[in-house]
Amino acid sequence: MASENKRRWGFVIEVKRCIDCKACMVACEIENAVPLGKHRNWIGKIGPTGTFPILGLKFEPGNCMHCENPPCERVCPTGATYQRDDGIVLVDYDKCIGCRYCMQACPYDARYLHPDGYVDKCTFCVHRLDAGQPPACVETCVGGSRHFGDLNDPNSEVSKLLATRDHYVVYEEAGTQPRIFYIS
Amino acid sequence: MENFEWGILVVNYLFLAGLSAGAFAISSFATYIGGPHFRRVARIGALVAPWPVAIGVGVLVLDLGRPFAFYNLFLIVQYTSPMSIGSWLLTGFIFLALAYAALWVPAPFDGLLRLPSRVGDLLHYSRWTLLSQNTIRRWRAILAAIGFPISLGVGIYTGILLGAIPSRPFWNTPMVAQLFLFSAMSSGTATVLLITALLGARHEHGYEEERRLLVSTDMVLIVLEIFMIVPFLLHHALSTQSSASSIELILGGEYTGWFWIGVILLGILLPLAIEGYELFPVILKEGAARYSLILSATSAVLVLVGGFVLRFVFVYAGQASHFLPVVTR
Repeated sequence: MASENKRRWGFVIEVKRCIDCKACMVACEIENAVPLGKHRNWIGKIGPTGTFPILGLKFEPGNCMHCENPPCERVCPTGATYQRDDGIVLVDYDKCIGCRYCMQACPYDARYLHPDGYVDKCTFCVHRLDAGQPPACVETCVGGSRHFGDLNDPNSEVSKLLATRDHYVVYEEAGTQPRIFYIS
Repeated sequence: MENFEWGILVVNYLFLAGLSAGAFAISSFATYIGGPHFRRVARIGALVAPWPVAIGVGVLVLDLGRPFAFYNLFLIVQYTSPMSIGSWLLTGFIFLALAYAALWVPAPFDGLLRLPSRVGDLLHYSRWTLLSQNTIRRWRAILAAIGFPISLGVGIYTGILLGAIPSRPFWNTPMVAQLFLFSAMSSGTATVLLITALLGARHEHGYEEERRLLVSTDMVLIVLEIFMIVPFLLHHALSTQSSASSIELILGGEYTGWFWIGVILLGILLPLAIEGYELFPVILKEGAARYSLILSATSAVLVLVGGFVLRFVFVYAGQASHFLPVVTR
């Protein structure tokens, strides 16, 4: 774990607030010029659950989890995938050879092969963060499902949500320590 | 979820790298035992070894998203990445196997084995001195000794590459590395078995011993494969839900036929039965072995087919396996 006074960016996603409108996906694709047919974020469907007439269907939006312990970074043979001091996992496109080993290693299937031959994925919109703005998917989220902030700052919105609400991470058993937390 | 990023070229590469590693290993083993009986095994293994892996790697580079950026692999050593270690290992192995093969070139061409004795002669090949038989023999032994562990490393690397990935439960067991190693050794041995069988008993003595070395080595390796596949299935079946459900892919799922017919029946049980039939009188000390071209060639080809299908099943089934629950998107 990084030292406590360092920034540690992360998401908190409220599953119940997602209405599957896919505005986050559209915003991301416009913001990051994602190639047609590829996606940096997604909306997973849980269910339908229950028995008629009491049925449930939940939506679990996601994107790269920017794991504290990223398996993609570990297996990258060229060091193209790296982790910044603030925890964000990025790909250096010049170093990437497109071997796709990281895509095998990612339990969340968060990566895709860009038509230009390198592997790409969510960057937490670093270019916006560095300019003091939230990621595009968070800004556009209609239902207020996506929250973003500094997990190491106890006064941030995400820290307060995690302090007061039950939450889970996806595939905890993978030991990746993902930095997207879900409130069911 | 099932988008197969790694396809038939990766299957091909893992198979060919393993075959080369096995050919080198059996050659260096024969060099170590020495003697005229095993010289042909040593020579053919050595002459075969560099090429399949070189072709496999060459073709794999074209499979990269950015083939012309491949040199990035060699600007860094990433200790945590099996692929990085494997790239260095394979490169070293290919050069070593080429040098070793050169030392084994047969009679009309061994006159080409020269080295410059003075710096001034570097550009004048005609002035280079011919390597003496002693020097050649010595360097064969040295490269065989260095190369033996390296070839085992190449063989096991092809399995570690897959096994080191927790997010693909089908791959994520140490048995995959061992299984690929034994299969690699077996396919290299089978290649030498096939070529020597086709050449026939051309040299004066030692044909019997040569056959016996190759056939019994291959039998041992096939049996070792069985002893990897059984725990592979058991450990998966008795492990976590994600793990247990991942082998459904070969226990009723999409790759069941490929695995049980292609790998187990054609690649393991049939060649084992054929080789067992050949050696049976020797095992029981009741007479001469029943080696024949048709039996040796059939068992060798079956081993090679089985080795290829094994890698096909693993590369594809592994990518189709996933942590549970799988969330649809």
